[in-house]
Amino acid sequence: MDYSWAPLMGSLVLGLSIASIWLVAALGLTIIYGTAGVINMAHGEFIMLGAYAAYCAQAYLGTPFLLCLPISFVVVALIGLFFERVLIRYLYHRPLDTLLATWGVSLMLTQGVRMIFGSSPKYVQVPEFLSGNVSLGIMNMSSLRILIVLMTVVLIVGIWYLFYRTYFGIKIRAVTQNREMAASFGVNSERIYMCTFALGAGLAGVAGCLFSALAIVLPTMGSNYVVESFLVVVTGGGPLVGSIAASAMMGEFKSFFSYFFNSTFAQFLLFVLIVIVLRFRPNGLFANTAVRR
Amino acid sequence: MGGVLEIRDLHKSFDSHHVIQGFSMDVVEQTLSCLIGPNGAGKTTLMDLISGRLKPSSGSVRFRGDELSGLSESDIARRGVGRKFQVPAVFKELTVRENLEIAFSREVNPFRNMLKFRDKAMLAKLEEVSVLVNLENRLSIVAGLLSHGETQWLEIGMTLMQEPQLLLLDEPIAGMTEAEVDQTAKLLREVRQHSTLIVVEHDMGFVRRVADMVTVMHMGTHFAEGKIDEIEANQNVREIYLGTEEDAA
Amino acid sequence: MNGNIYHDKRAQWVVYIVFFVSLGLIPVMQADPFLLNQLAVFGIYGLLAMSISLCWGTGGILNLGQGIAFGMGAYGMAMTMQMQSQDPEFSPLPSFMSTNGLEQLPWFWEPFWSTGGGIFLALAVPTIFSLIFGALMFQARVSGPFFAIMSLAMLSAFYILVLDMQPYTNGANGISPRMPLEVAGYSLDPYSPAAYWLIFGLLFSLTVLAKLLNQSKFGQIVRALREDPERVRFLGYNVALYETLIYAISAFIAAVAGCCFTILIQYVSPDQFDVVFSITMVIWAAVGGRLSLIGAIIGAFLIQGSESYLGDQFLNSWHLILGFFFVIIVRFLPNGLAGLLEMLLAKRSRSSTEESPPHGRAKSPAAANAEKAGV
Ligand SMILES: Nc1ncnc2c1ncn2[C@@H]1O[C@H](COP(=O)(O)OP(=O)(O)OP(=O)(O)O)[C@@H](O)[C@H]1O
Ligand SMILES: [Mg+2]
Repeated sequence: MDYSWAPLMGSLVLGLSIASIWLVAALGLTIIYGTAGVINMAHGEFIMLGAYAAYCAQAYLGTPFLLCLPISFVVVALIGLFFERVLIRYLYHRPLDTLLATWGVSLMLTQGVRMIFGSSPKYVQVPEFLSGNVSLGIMNMSSLRILIVLMTVVLIVGIWYLFYRTYFGIKIRAVTQNREMAASFGVNSERIYMCTFALGAGLAGVAGCLFSALAIVLPTMGSNYVVESFLVVVTGGGPLVGSIAASAMMGEFKSFFSYFFNSTFAQFLLFVLIVIVLRFRPNGLFANTAVRR
Repeated sequence: MGGVLEIRDLHKSFDSHHVIQGFSMDVVEQTLSCLIGPNGAGKTTLMDLISGRLKPSSGSVRFRGDELSGLSESDIARRGVGRKFQVPAVFKELTVRENLEIAFSREVNPFRNMLKFRDKAMLAKLEEVSVLVNLENRLSIVAGLLSHGETQWLEIGMTLMQEPQLLLLDEPIAGMTEAEVDQTAKLLREVRQHSTLIVVEHDMGFVRRVADMVTVMHMGTHFAEGKIDEIEANQNVREIYLGTEEDAA
Repeated sequence: MNGNIYHDKRAQWVVYIVFFVSLGLIPVMQADPFLLNQLAVFGIYGLLAMSISLCWGTGGILNLGQGIAFGMGAYGMAMTMQMQSQDPEFSPLPSFMSTNGLEQLPWFWEPFWSTGGGIFLALAVPTIFSLIFGALMFQARVSGPFFAIMSLAMLSAFYILVLDMQPYTNGANGISPRMPLEVAGYSLDPYSPAAYWLIFGLLFSLTVLAKLLNQSKFGQIVRALREDPERVRFLGYNVALYETLIYAISAFIAAVAGCCFTILIQYVSPDQFDVVFSITMVIWAAVGGRLSLIGAIIGAFLIQGSESYLGDQFLNSWHLILGFFFVIIVRFLPNGLAGLLEMLLAKRSRSSTEESPPHGRAKSPAAANAEKAGV
């Protein structure tokens, strides 16, 4: 390969890595928004809880890192289930209010975790084979980032299977398309929403577990991911393919802009770009068509 | 008395679904045309196309000689096309009076409306319309509390407040009691004195009472047109209606 | 015929008079400069809550990025005040710039030599930005949660930008002008009653103007499009234009608040663009009642007041309490405390009308039908 192309190729690969991080952070949000129309502002805090779950499992039980993934999933799914039962389920028909209420939840979670674990950073150990770098020919990449790419693919395939190949998935899609109609066929939409919310929270937990190894664990770490996750969902418009396309696009542009400018200014450009995209596709790239009247 | 509205070879498809297929129609000044047709014939879609809610795939809609397709909803409304929706759309959280006041849209400039608190012309119109649609005693009620029939009236009243030259009414008597239907028929005859109406309606009894002209729509085409007696005698029209009944059974 | 005194225009104006007269009298009774300064800062929070109420309450546009206008206003004023203490000949460059390696004053700092020009820019830039951003979003019919998220994203973009442009904004350290603002030779001491009255005067006049705006035909149309923008379009109004204007007016008020903030605190930092602060503004309006301008102002007073007076005891758990309280309000009182008052007054007026013959609001359908048949 020509020498001058190598950095650009490298930036493409880096973009893929950024995209996978944003996508894995946004998966839970996508499922919850896509099914129930709920914008979950506490999503970043669910990610943070996943990281703390991994930290606890490792610090108190000595669980190896890869086993922390399912533990984080279950713990955060249960926490999500709890909030769905006591709060969210009363607000499904008021989208702006769910947004606000879940923000209240996020405040409580951040502060609660800070009171329990303190504000000092926590660290999660990763096994030997994940702490090194892998050579990809043109560039080196940390094996952890490669694990995240792989996990993202695994989770997407899992979600796809669940939504399109199982009976539960049929019910979810029925409820998403027409709640009343699904109800008349005996699908309990309340149950579906509940399960979806717990599933989405659990996925945030998995993301949190992955990120706990990537960076330090802090009560406020959720806010590092939440805006990007939202933008992935909003730009994608709701469906899973939308989020995949949006995160790929955003990751590549971020990496591409960073190639010319510094990374903060690249972030700024990216946001402006999304505003312009929404100007032409106000409901996102893959939105369902407008309602009838 | 010329044509107010000329629709020429209108087409509309959603993805591969061809809903309006070469529809043409002329509407004459100060007449009340009824648009009938089986469910799914494309009547509401046609109203959407005229009022700018949807953009046609091809064809033209001319209102007093001006092309409408391509204009925004608000521009079309500004030119004198008022619309009542099939699913009544009133502002449920606002009072009946506020609903009517807002509909009075002679002034649409936001800056001038910031300085507008008491509008004599509007009050006069409000008085006239509220009597016409029989809501003069219900003005301070929140619109969400109105009965179904009253809601329909309120929305008709709102379109009248707009002082339109052409009114599009989508199923105005759905959900009304017998007495309310009578009142509505009377109201529409009165409105027809100074504006043109296109009314979508399934109830043939009502159509017989109000229509000057009847247009039958079928699968997105202009199927038949004439006086109500001609239409009722038309064998083909009977068939499409019976046909759909068989399908339903 | 409407029995609820809450909706009575005259009663509302009486409340306004009582509220503002008592606020205006505070400096007469209370001379402690530090307390006065803090109360003036509360006045700024009141302005912000009121601006949210205008945008979100009246127009239904949930703006989580009000900090953009607030922060721009605050930075604009800080730049103005900074340049007042620079000397054009001997030290034209603020010291943080030379520390960061700049040799010349950046071009966009130049206009701030002039106090009038600086204040004009501090207000005009955020307003124009909101007009552009609003027009882009609303013409595309971005609405509801999508708009909320976009405003949030925009805010966080500005946050990182201000943080990143260290040489021009002094990054995380912020700008702290040495001297109070000087207008026409008069130095405005932030701890003086004059500063309090400035904020009070702005709060008073802008709230009254906002209330008049709400009562005008414009306000009526904006309330209607909160419920159903599409229907408003078919009545002939350009919905995007109305939305953009209410959004920009609200941003202008936030910019005014930002200017005042720097006058009082003599310091500005990227914290003014902080996401949490912007959402806190929404909490104020939600708790006080987003549909009521005064309700929102009182919401800000209540929450910030309890933060400063309870905060000392509950410093650690304050966010926990705030979050919990907010969740409860959203869940059970979507229209906040003002909505609660409205409900209570409605109950009272209903019980008093029940004694008199059936008139007005609570009319049974049967009675209504009988009435219609009679016409
Ligand atoms: N947005 C859309 N996307 C896809 N198909 C649509 C859309 N809008 C309408 N259709 C289809 O177009 C056809 C015509 O619908 P339309 O509502 O115009 O019929 P209608 O004559 O008003 O029926 P009804 O008497 O039931 O009101 C229907 O088959 C409908 O399914
Ligand atoms: Mg129809």
